Amino acid sequence: MKQHFKKRVQNIIWHFKSIQDAILLPFLIVITLALAVFLLISLNYTEKTVLRNSEEYTMQLIEQINADLDSYIGYMETISMMVVGNPDVSQYLFGDDENQEEMKDKVGQQFKTLIDTRTDICNIAVLADNGKMYLNRGKSALNPNADIKDMDWYKDTMKANGSSVVSSSHVQNAISGAYTWVVTLSRALLNPKTQEKEGIFFIDLNYSSISGLCERVSLGDRGYLFILSEDGSYIYHPQQQLIYSGLKTEWNGKVLEQENGSFITDEGNNSKLYTVCSSRETGWKVVGVAYLDELMKDREGTKTLYGLTALLLSLLAIVLSMFISRAITKPIRELEGAMIQVQKGKFDNQAVTARGNNEISSLGNSFNIMTEKIQQLMDENIQEQREKRKNELRALQSQINPHFLYNTLDSIIWMAESGKNEEVVLMTSSLAKLFRQSISNEDEVVTIAQEIEYTRSYLTIQKMRYRDQLEFVIDVDEDILKCHIVKLVIQPLVENSIYHGIKYIDGKGMISIMGGRSDGKIVLIISDNGAGMEQEAVEHILDQKVPNHKSNHVGVYNVHHRLQLYYGQESGLKYKSVRGVGTTVFVSIPEEERQPKDGKV
Amino acid sequence: MGKYKNSKFYIIIAAALGGLLIVVLAFAAKSWQSRGGKLDVIYIPKVQDNSDFWGSLALGAQAAAKEYDINLKIAGPSSEGDVEKQNEIIRQSIEERPDAIILSPCSYTESTEAAKQIVKAGIHLILVDSSMEEPLGETLVCTNNTEAGKKLGELLRKYLPEDPVIGIVSHVRESSTAMEREKGLREGLEGYEDRILPAVFCDSDYDKAYKVTQQLLEEHPEINAIAGLNEYSAVGAARAVKDMGLEDEIVMVGFDSSLEEIQLLEAGIFKGIVVQKPFNMGYLAVQKSVEVIYNTAVDPTVDSGSEEITKGNMYTEENQKLLFPFLAK
Repeated sequence: MKQHFKKRVQNIIWHFKSIQDAILLPFLIVITLALAVFLLISLNYTEKTVLRNSEEYTMQLIEQINADLDSYIGYMETISMMVVGNPDVSQYLFGDDENQEEMKDKVGQQFKTLIDTRTDICNIAVLADNGKMYLNRGKSALNPNADIKDMDWYKDTMKANGSSVVSSSHVQNAISGAYTWVVTLSRALLNPKTQEKEGIFFIDLNYSSISGLCERVSLGDRGYLFILSEDGSYIYHPQQQLIYSGLKTEWNGKVLEQENGSFITDEGNNSKLYTVCSSRETGWKVVGVAYLDELMKDREGTKTLYGLTALLLSLLAIVLSMFISRAITKPIRELEGAMIQVQKGKFDNQAVTARGNNEISSLGNSFNIMTEKIQQLMDENIQEQREKRKNELRALQSQINPHFLYNTLDSIIWMAESGKNEEVVLMTSSLAKLFRQSISNEDEVVTIAQEIEYTRSYLTIQKMRYRDQLEFVIDVDEDILKCHIVKLVIQPLVENSIYHGIKYIDGKGMISIMGGRSDGKIVLIISDNGAGMEQEAVEHILDQKVPNHKSNHVGVYNVHHRLQLYYGQESGLKYKSVRGVGTTVFVSIPEEERQPKDGKV
Repeated sequence: MGKYKNSKFYIIIAAALGGLLIVVLAFAAKSWQSRGGKLDVIYIPKVQDNSDFWGSLALGAQAAAKEYDINLKIAGPSSEGDVEKQNEIIRQSIEERPDAIILSPCSYTESTEAAKQIVKAGIHLILVDSSMEEPLGETLVCTNNTEAGKKLGELLRKYLPEDPVIGIVSHVRESSTAMEREKGLREGLEGYEDRILPAVFCDSDYDKAYKVTQQLLEEHPEINAIAGLNEYSAVGAARAVKDMGLEDEIVMVGFDSSLEEIQLLEAGIFKGIVVQKPFNMGYLAVQKSVEVIYNTAVDPTVDSGSEEITKGNMYTEENQKLLFPFLAK
């Protein structure tokens, strides 16, 4: 399994066109993945932290509100205890007629003190079923058009077991001429004589002190706060009218389920964080509503920061990994380039620079050693070839000389016997010239002029030997005379022409040597009017092993081979021959005056 | 080969840098938008005061402005009916180049020119409460007066005495609200059309309402039901009925609310009233203006609703907020 996986990975890696890509891509994938994971984790963490902080902050705020509300209600509760527990009140309401006015004054005094000290008290009153009552400072009257006994808070209080009842927020219409938004705390009054609920005490807390408290709280630009009573009716909501008209809904079901805590609504862009805190005094639920997108305002900034950091990092990673992969593969690419050059046969100056001491540099070193060795071997090979050519040349020189020498010496003897002194001198001097030229000159290459001169000496000797049977013409352009040519090219060809061509014809033999430039090459043409050859013989004349009647034919192959060795495949001999008409051989060599590397042979 | 590799290398770097630039720009644009990109809306009411109606309307508008997180500016004349002053405010507001202007035109005819300028300046125009003779504005947020009139008619119908003769005290002759409410009222009183006397008009003045009601009652002593079609008409008529000692003989219904009207309702002189919902009107106007700015399809008219109030339901949780929008009366 592991092996299989390894193979697959390798397959993938070998799929890339370059090692650089093979290194780069996994590198990038790993870095990008790491960054993405980092980004997600950080964002998630930040989001959670922001949310938790907001929850805590909101909770603190609404707990404060709750505490304020509780202290209001608690204060009213205290007042209600004071008033209800005040014997003057029950004496005034339910007592005998004796001290009526005195008791009333005492009650009034108490109410006045309370109203004076607390501006948030709107109304304070005691009412008895028997019609006795005390309202505020004693000057207010009940609303004649409204029956207090029909009012919800009155009914609730009478139902309760003597304990105080806190109403929801409402418009107090019990007092004539005043319609004020209040929260009413009320308590039934017992007639001490009958132990029956025969009256009521109520105190109205100005609603503006509650709503003011809520309005002051800031939960972002859009957030708000509302208060629900235990039964789900609204004590305070900034958009109460919209709710009643159905233009807006609150998550009351969920809010009422909560004692203290928070939840998040899923409303897309309008998702909100609801934080609920219940009051122990009243059972009211103070609810803070904050818009998530506002809470997460910082998140945008953090997101931007994180995103930019990640982007910069990945950019840096891309650039770095590209540089690294390039640095790693650079010597490999150098090696590759050098190898391509070696493949083409260029061995010199291909050494790669191997820095450091790693696998690739040792590879480079090995490559350098290898190319050096190959270069050395090739140099040796060239040297050997040159030696071989030199030997061949020597062989050629020694091959032609003895045979020709006997004949020539025979001719000289014969001429001397005939008393042809002049001719003996010419022939002997020509022979001497011929030998001097061939022996004295150790160079593999001679000028065309030298080569022609040599041939001329040879031809002169041959002409004298064959008397009028041989005639020759040499017509070589002046300007190529200074050019160089491999030694012993023309003479062997001329010799060949004589022994295989002219020798077989009756009548005068004619050899012409012409030379000039053609198509950027130097061309020497040696033609005879000898016996000529069959087409088949022409085709095979340059082959190495041609069965031939005369051993000297080897000379043609030898010349051709040496020309090709020295000048390359482009150069060499070319034969044209027609049976009974003659043979022409074309020698072509490159024009440029090429000096062999070593100069001397 | 080497050259090709190099150019590929720089293309990748250039692409990465380009991508980075785009991302940075996008972030910058987004943060610019979230900071300075709040919508600006100006509301121009008929009058800027603390009256129940206009005050509630402004509160509703502010509530929506907070909810939709826009900059809302409210600027209106200090007395109702000051067309000149309102037109001047309109011109000033155009110069501030807000995204939208919400307008409660003072006049059915004389506000048209200024309103046209708003549209011409390429600013979204939303009408609230009242319309104009020409159909201007992308939407009109107001009480469906025909519907409200019908409610009033149906309410009155429940209390109609035998052999009813019904008088109507209306506010301004030929005004759209008066005509629509009267039409609705007659629909609500279907079957009694021949029992309805022609409406009298008070030009939104208590004293005139008092007088025309007195006249009407003198001319038609057989009247046993009266409907007032706005607050002035209703209260003026009720005062007249009360002063003539006819409150037990005449069944009355009214429109809109005021402290006096509420007290008359409590006292049983009004059997019921129909009230508009100015808070909702203001809220809806701002909400629609945001929708219009964002090219959401908006109905040409938006009903902000109305409610029937009787003595029995006036102190319910829902209704007391409508009748007493503010903390103290």
